[in-house]
Order: sequence, then structure tokens, then C-alpha cells
Amino acid sequence: MTGDGAPTASIGRMLDRALAHEILRAARSHGGAFAELFVEERTSVTIRLDDGKIEELTSGLDRGAGVRVGQGTSFGYAFSNRLDREALLEAAEAAAASLRGAPGEVVDLREVQPSVVHVAERPASGMPAADKVAWLREVDDVARSFSPEVRQVVATYGDSVQRVLIATSDGRWIEELRPRIRLVAQVVAARDGVIQTGFHGPAGVAGVEFLDAHPPAETASIAARRAVTMLGSSPAPAGEMSAVLAPGMGGVLFHEAVGHPLESDIVDKEASVYRGRVGEVLASPLVNGIDDATIPNAWGSFSFDDEGAPAERTVLFEDGVLRGWLYDRLRAEKDGVASTGNGRRQSYAHQPIPRMTNTFILNGTSTSEDVLSSTERGVYVAALAGGQTNPATGDFVFGCSEAYLIEDGEITSPVRGANLIGRAIEVMSAIDGVADDFDTWEGVCGKDGQSVPVGSGSPTLRISRITVGGTGA
Amino acid sequence: MAAAGPGESVEAYAERSTRTEVNALRGEVEGLTFAESQGVGVRLIRDGRLGYAWAADPSANEVRAAVAQARENAGFASADEHNVLPEAAAADPIDELYHAEQAAMSTDRKVALALDLERRTTSTDPRVRKVEVVQYGDAVSSAAIASTSGVAAAYERTDCWCMVVALAEEGEETQTGYSYRLGRALDELDWEGVADEAIERATRMLGAVKPSTMKVPVLLDPFAGSSFLGVLSGALSAEAVQKGRSLFAELVGQQVGSEAFTLVDDGRLLEGPAASPFDDEGVPTGRTELFTRGTLNGFLHDTYTAHRGGTASTGNARRAGYRTAPGVGISNFYVEPGAKDLSELLVEASGGVLIQDVSGVHSGANPISGEFSVGATGLRIDGGTLGEPLREMTIASTIPDMLQAVAAVGSDLRFFTAVGVPSILIGEMTVAGV
Repeated sequence: MTGDGAPTASIGRMLDRALAHEILRAARSHGGAFAELFVEERTSVTIRLDDGKIEELTSGLDRGAGVRVGQGTSFGYAFSNRLDREALLEAAEAAAASLRGAPGEVVDLREVQPSVVHVAERPASGMPAADKVAWLREVDDVARSFSPEVRQVVATYGDSVQRVLIATSDGRWIEELRPRIRLVAQVVAARDGVIQTGFHGPAGVAGVEFLDAHPPAETASIAARRAVTMLGSSPAPAGEMSAVLAPGMGGVLFHEAVGHPLESDIVDKEASVYRGRVGEVLASPLVNGIDDATIPNAWGSFSFDDEGAPAERTVLFEDGVLRGWLYDRLRAEKDGVASTGNGRRQSYAHQPIPRMTNTFILNGTSTSEDVLSSTERGVYVAALAGGQTNPATGDFVFGCSEAYLIEDGEITSPVRGANLIGRAIEVMSAIDGVADDFDTWEGVCGKDGQSVPVGSGSPTLRISRITVGGTGA
Repeated sequence: MAAAGPGESVEAYAERSTRTEVNALRGEVEGLTFAESQGVGVRLIRDGRLGYAWAADPSANEVRAAVAQARENAGFASADEHNVLPEAAAADPIDELYHAEQAAMSTDRKVALALDLERRTTSTDPRVRKVEVVQYGDAVSSAAIASTSGVAAAYERTDCWCMVVALAEEGEETQTGYSYRLGRALDELDWEGVADEAIERATRMLGAVKPSTMKVPVLLDPFAGSSFLGVLSGALSAEAVQKGRSLFAELVGQQVGSEAFTLVDDGRLLEGPAASPFDDEGVPTGRTELFTRGTLNGFLHDTYTAHRGGTASTGNARRAGYRTAPGVGISNFYVEPGAKDLSELLVEASGGVLIQDVSGVHSGANPISGEFSVGATGLRIDGGTLGEPLREMTIASTIPDMLQAVAAVGSDLRFFTAVGVPSILIGEMTVAGV
């Protein structure tokens, strides 16, 4: 809002180095391979417009710390939302409770400088609430004026600043500030008793300059167009056919069906369909896939992960060949490699686990026209609603929120209720067209009860054969 | 409350919890997590405008700051005459929610239990030697609400749970099986049953094939049925109805489902994990029959929707925690069990399919139109017993069509957090394969 309630001091001053050192020493009092202290302060504002009214403006301040002691792939973790010495020492003792070893050492804490920083040029925390309310009103106006068939608009604006301090027993002292912003439009349209919804919600690690590139009016139009277009849809066909995925959507599929089984905790538990198969061709040679937390201001980006490892670009697939896993600290130490900077947590109240950041399939050399015009019959998936994967088998299901038929190389009538069903390795191997029109899609990914912001991205791509579940003929 | 200004209604909601989670893997403790958290949320209404703010630190200074922040936030909200706080009403306490011996359980005992759970899961069937997740967890929590309209209520609870995701392997094939149970104290928690069920659900899927499309009786097991109840709960909130987002909006008094289908929300039902004496704005909870033998009676209300709809709150104000203002939500939301046990239902469903899991419900079901298309795994039912395992199926229909087609409801009611469901036999449904 106007800066009230926002922290004025740097987080480094909330906890001095001598105290951090003392906490880490207490955490290592019974040994373990390392100890880590994660301190967080987060201010956030959420404003929700529904039914034409600003229903609610919520703001708050979260503050807390977690202490972790690692030993092999095991850990003890304890956290508290009190930051006083007594509470932190109690947490350190609790985290060390299951260990029985001799005290371990704590190296002097030295600040580590980031190699990439995601700056908010115009911090949202400094903007008046009235401006934020006006963006939501604009979403409501634009969506409603898009068509008389628009019946309901929910617009949500959120910004937050997460200040993070990480201190580790091997001597790293890391501070980071992560400003986030998101504007979401959900539109309901109705015609002759048929109701359809449309959604769009761009997001970034940035300030309000993000909305220059993603104006509220554009977000509103996209969501309204989706809802109204789908009113004219007929039930999707069922059966095996080609599927062409719009820019960004292939990234969502890649994230769910391929990215999760590449997370090193899943691999370590032998619950990944990809286990033991690095170096094998497990996707079409057209597939180059990466996970990259260094992309400036992207929704899944950061300077350091939540264990203090620097952000990295990790190659997952190179010309269809599986190259490696997404590592956090515990699993990297077990495998004797460096972390890939994928140890993330929702907040101080959660232990870090391997997670994706921005997960992309990179551009190919075709054009989207080539890919489409050579498709005789299939579905064109303009937006996915989300999906589910079983990492052990690679089985996945995705719902399509905006889809069309492809007939003789042309996108024709809209279809609803389409699902994409398949197995990760088979479907990735069936990709036979990758265009050059890369785009992104921002989401929130849930795993083990923790939600973190993630980006996905891809150009237009075609799966030559996939099962489409639908209700039509 | 002292911070409230003239003409302001103010409510403070405070919660505190301590939680322990123990994960076991390969015979060792994989993770041991101790959590301690607390926070206060402040709801302030002035001239019909609602503002909300929260603080994780319940010190007097931060709570005063939250009230000031809520007041400022209210200034930007639209006026709505239905923004009111509930009047004070006494709720009968439910003593059974808190078990002192559970709250005092030692960490060593919790660790031993998680290890036992993993050992049992990986040493019972030769095809199950690994797990994806084995967890024992518990929590001791308390909530308190006070407001300028006289609400002053507090209660304490204990909860504990076991979760297993087992991996069954045969040749190159891997299948997963999930089980979960929760209770208020360890002796209510059949942890051996959790291990055994996860093993059974994983191993019986080995050798799964993709069937051809068929129109057959479908038996939804409680795990599969619970996913659909989530979609139903959204559509039965008065908030969704008042905002034009419910498929049931115009159907009160009508026979929407079959005679076999009765759906209840009961915040005082002791068997339900979500039982509490009052809801998240201090209104006493109670029993609301949403569907009686297929007829839709009405919707779930909080104080806002009740005021707007000219009715009384059903005690269904819920919040995701102190960081969010209350909205309409479910308490113990369950399908009333029938008389038949699972074996009788299997006989009735002969020639059909038992659906063990559905996936993609949150993306594949439209809570507004009621249409859904979801992925499913399950087993053929032949002559009253379970046969060939099936994968990569889809089932697609609409919620009203499915409710109409409910042929029978089992006696095996089972709760998954707030949602409870027995096995449900759907007379006939299209199961799409190849």
C-alpha cells in the first residue's frame, strides 16, 4: 500500500551474524553433515474484485525462520515464527534431535554475491492501493464490454516482497529480495444455458513495470475471448489423433509429465520412470529441454535457491537425449555432484525439496504454419487447465480449457471437455514438429503440500499421436 | 477489540499450532519436521466496506498495526450492506476433539511408528520393496475468535495421520498405491491398515492394460468418489449461487439426483475429521442436509451469504488460515452411507469397472457447467470379484447426469479430511479406452 507495514530494515539487520553463527553451532551440536538457517520476511497484498465489487483487500506480514540439519538424505527441520534467540535455539535443538554424533564445525559466515539479480524497477510495494484497485476495475470493464455474454468477472491482483536470509555451516551468508507481481482474470460467459469460463494470469518477479508488458486490459480480453469462444464449442472427439499445442502449452505438459520425474528426490526413491536412463534417447530429437532460474524477471526465477545455491540453467534434454536431474543439496551430496540450484521451499515453514523453476522446451526451426498445415486431423490446444502425472509410470492426464479441431491443416471449430492422456516417454518421442514461436505460461506448482511459483514455456509443437479423451463422437 | 473505532465492526481470529511430521525411507528417518506457528487475522467492516489484515506475531503492537492496516484496506473496498459480523451465539463444546495423551506423545514414539509403517509396507508383499512416501504426522492446534458483536469462543484439537505411497514392481513395470487415514489420537488410527491398503492398491494394478471403450456399470471407490465431492462442494456454496457460478442455482426443490443419493454437511459429526463446535467466524456448526434422496434442499451459508439471501448461516464459514478472510466452505461433507457392503455392490456391478483413482478432476471438471472428463485407473468386475487391472481410461459425463445415475451407495463411508464418501455404484457410464 503506501509503504505502511513494509519492512524498512534489511533482513540482515533482523538477525546478526553472531547470532546466526550461534544458532548454526547449536544445530550442529550432535553432528550431521551440515546445518542451515533460513530466515524469511514476506509482505503481501491481495485485492479481489468479484461480481463488480472490490470484495476484499488483504495485507499481511509473515516472518519466521527454519533450521535444518542434514545427514545423508535425512534431515531434521524445525521452524518458528518467533525470531528471538530463545526460539531459534529451541528450533536448532529440535532439528538436531535425531542425531547422536559429536559437534560439527561452523565456518565463519561470508556474504556470497549473486551473479543474477531480478530487480523491481518500480516496486509494487510503493504503489498506492488506489492504483491497484483501478487495474482490477479496468479488467472488469474490459472483460464485460468484450461481449454481452460475459456474465461474471473475478479479477485478482497480488504483489509480495519476500526477503530471504540463508546462513549455512559451510560459511555462506546470502541475502535476497524477491518482488513478485501477478494479475489474474477469470471470466464466466453464458449462452442458452451453456456456461464457459476463461482464465489468464501473467506473473513475474518484477515491479509494476511488468504490467506495461502485460497490460490489465490485455489480460481481461484474453480471458473473455476464451470464455466466449468456448460457448460455441461442441464436445471434443475421443480417440487417438494428432495434437498441436499452442506456444507455452508444450512447456506446461513438459513440466508436469517430464519435469517432475526428473526431480532428484523422485529419482532417489526409484519412483521415476527416467531412473538410471541418463544418456538415452527418451524424446524426439527435436526436443531440447531446460530448467533455468536465471531468466531475468521470470516468474520461476531467483538469484539463489532456498538452500543458498546460485540460480542455474540446467539442460534436461539435448536433441532428445536425457542429460540429467534437478538437484537439491541432499540428493546432490548423495550422488557426489553439485546442486543444480533446484532446492526450493514455499516458506520458512517448509523444508526445501527439489523443484522446477522455469522449465522450457526451446525453439525449433519450423514455423507454426508448417506445423499446422501439415496436420490433417487433430486437436489444437490453445490453453491447458492443468494436469496430473504419476512420475513412477509417466502416465499423465491434462484437461484442455481452450481447444479446437484441426481439419485439413486449419484450426476450425472450438471443442470442450478435451483431455490429453498418455505416457511421458511415448508422448515426448511422438513430437514431430517444433516451431520457432516460443512463449511462456506462469503457474503455481504443488508438491508434497508446498506451492511455489513456476514458469513453463515452449514454441508451437505437434504430438503425432496421443489419446484424446472427450465426450463427443 | 479496544482498537475498534466508532461505527466499526472488528473481529480477530487467532490460531496456534504445533505439528510434527516424520517421514521414513529405507528403514531410516528420512525427515523429521517440527513446526510451531501462530497468527492473527483481523476483519474490519466500516460503512459496509471490508478490510482484512494479518500478522504472524500476536504481540499487541503488531495486532494494533493489523487493525490499522485492515481499516486502511477497508477504505478501498466496495460498500456492501451484507458485510456484517455474526451475533454472539453459544456453541456447545465438543470435548472429544482434544486428546491430552495424544498432545503429550513423545517424538521417539512417533519416529518408531513411522519406521514400523515403512517396514510393514516394504516387507509384506515381495513385489513391494520401496515406497515413495511414508509419513506419520500429528498436530495440536487451537483457534480463538472475538468480535465487537460479542463473539468470544475458543477450542483446542488434536489430529494425527498416516500416509503411504507404495511402489509395486514386476519386471519393468511400476505401479503406485496410495492410502491415508486420520484420527484424533493414535489409537483411532489403523496404521497397519494404511500399509496394507497401499500395498493392495499398488499390486492389484500390476499388468494394467488399456481397455476398449465400453458402456458399463461403474463402481467409484471412496478414493475416486472423494475427488468428485470436491467439485460438488463448490457448486453447493451459496456464494457460488449468488454470483451466478453454480449449476444448481435454479434447482432447489427438484429431484436432481437419484433416490439413493443423500448428501450432508455436518460440522458436529464426531466421525468426521473436520468437526468443530463453531465455524471460522464463531457461528455454531450443525447438520445441513443438502440433498435428501436426490432432492436438492438448499446451499451452505456463512454470515455474508445468509444476510444476502435472507436466511440463516449454516455455520459454514471457513478460512485457509489466519491469512485469509472467511468464505463459504464445507465442514464434514459426506454422502450418507447405504445398507450394502462392498461385496454386494461388486455383485451388482458385475461386468462393469471399479474405478480406483481419477486424475485431473481439478482441471477436467467444470464446476460451473458440471461437465467433466477425467482420467481413470481401475479394475474389471467379473462375477462379483475384481479382475483385470485397467489404465489410461477416461470417464466423461456431467455432475447432474452422474447423480441421476447413482444406483446404490455402500455402507463403507470413509472420510478424507473434510470429505466423506462410501463406494458409489453408477448404473451405467461410458468408459473410454482405445
